[in-house]
Amino acid sequence: MEESKIMVKVERVNKFYKKLHVLRDIDMEVRRGEVTVLIGASGSGKTTLLRCMNHLETINSGRILVDGEPIGCWANEKGVLCKDPERILNRKRSQIGMVFQRFNLFSHLTVLENVMLALTTVKKMQKEEAREIAIQQLKHVGLPDKIDSYPSRLSGGQQQRVAIARSLAMQPKLMLFDEPTSALDPELVGEVLETITNLAKEGMTMIVVTHEMGFARELAHQMLFLHDGVILEQGTPEEILNNPKFERTKAFLGKIL
Amino acid sequence: MTLLVTAAALAIGLLIGLVIGLLKVSQRRIFSVPATSYVEVFRNTPELVQLIWVYYCIPLLFGLPMAATTSCIIALGLNAGGYLGEVFRAGIQAVDKGLIEAGRSLGLSHFQTMRKITLPLALRTMLPPFVNQSIALLKNSSLVSVLGVADLTFQAQVIATNTFRVIEIFTGTAACYFIFLTILSYLARFLEKWLTAYR
Repeated sequence: MEESKIMVKVERVNKFYKKLHVLRDIDMEVRRGEVTVLIGASGSGKTTLLRCMNHLETINSGRILVDGEPIGCWANEKGVLCKDPERILNRKRSQIGMVFQRFNLFSHLTVLENVMLALTTVKKMQKEEAREIAIQQLKHVGLPDKIDSYPSRLSGGQQQRVAIARSLAMQPKLMLFDEPTSALDPELVGEVLETITNLAKEGMTMIVVTHEMGFARELAHQMLFLHDGVILEQGTPEEILNNPKFERTKAFLGKIL
Repeated sequence: MTLLVTAAALAIGLLIGLVIGLLKVSQRRIFSVPATSYVEVFRNTPELVQLIWVYYCIPLLFGLPMAATTSCIIALGLNAGGYLGEVFRAGIQAVDKGLIEAGRSLGLSHFQTMRKITLPLALRTMLPPFVNQSIALLKNSSLVSVLGVADLTFQAQVIATNTFRVIEIFTGTAACYFIFLTILSYLARFLEKWLTAYR
């Protein structure tokens, strides 16, 4: 059963934003339980590619399969364009967690309510059960005493950890991280990276867009370097960081290492 | 009577405003275009003209006999709906798109996101302009006196005509409106502080 080892499969994906060809013939795979890191300059398409995986961005051709099911829109065998109806898309999305650069916590709700919201609304859980799960997840990320605080009272690192707990509460099969530490003060980056590292060690399948090379080197099973919408390099972190094939890769790494 | 008319018209206006606001932010032109037309019609004509038009034309068009009070409430409600539609639209569009994306990526449907995330947040932004509109509505309600509805202004006119004491009566009337509106403003300020306590 070779197929079930693959959590995400991106097949010949192209995306245009108006006239700009932002993703060109992207082919990639992410195996279950592994961490994949996407690196590249801004505008390279790495964030766009990540956002296509839960259909926050649409693709123009090709298809993206998550756990064997295509998500969003795709062409079937006959070349006919198929699209997920909203209900099915919502269900698929509820199994994919996403953590954003700017946390995006619901500012009108407490920390606990933030984590509980999807459980009660999407999974239609009873409040008590949702509360239990939420508290457990907040303990998991190290914030058991902040449950009744509002997001605005928390530091950036704490807010991001709440965001991680919020996604984890839904027990996703896949977690997508869009530059999770880029908006944080340097001294807060560590606590968030630690939380993500623990998650990786527990076996979560993850795709992380990041500039944190130390983290990538330690945890990533696979690294992809994107440039101008194309996957220029693909391999283990050691291969890419120590032996990049292209000049462009060397130039980029030179700037951030 | 003034308060009754204002409250009733405000209620109608709120409902219409919510619908219009939601229609205006829709991607589909079939929803947004009629909503925009509605707003333009009711904002670009004087309230007095709208009041008189509704009073005379609705019975003609629909064959429904209508008391002055009812038609005034409807007219003021429709008018308020136009202004409040814009208020709702602006409030909805002011909500951080990132939060909406977070909601959708958790698996919330479009409606669930609207109900649990967008609207509660939009409400906080909308409160000041909503209060503005309520104040305007209360003041515009004085126009119903033109159609003979026995509101504050009408009574004032009656008394002034009978007693010939125009200055005293109308100063008193203005004072009454002023007191109503000051109380309203204080309530609004209190509500706003309570709603934004989390910031």
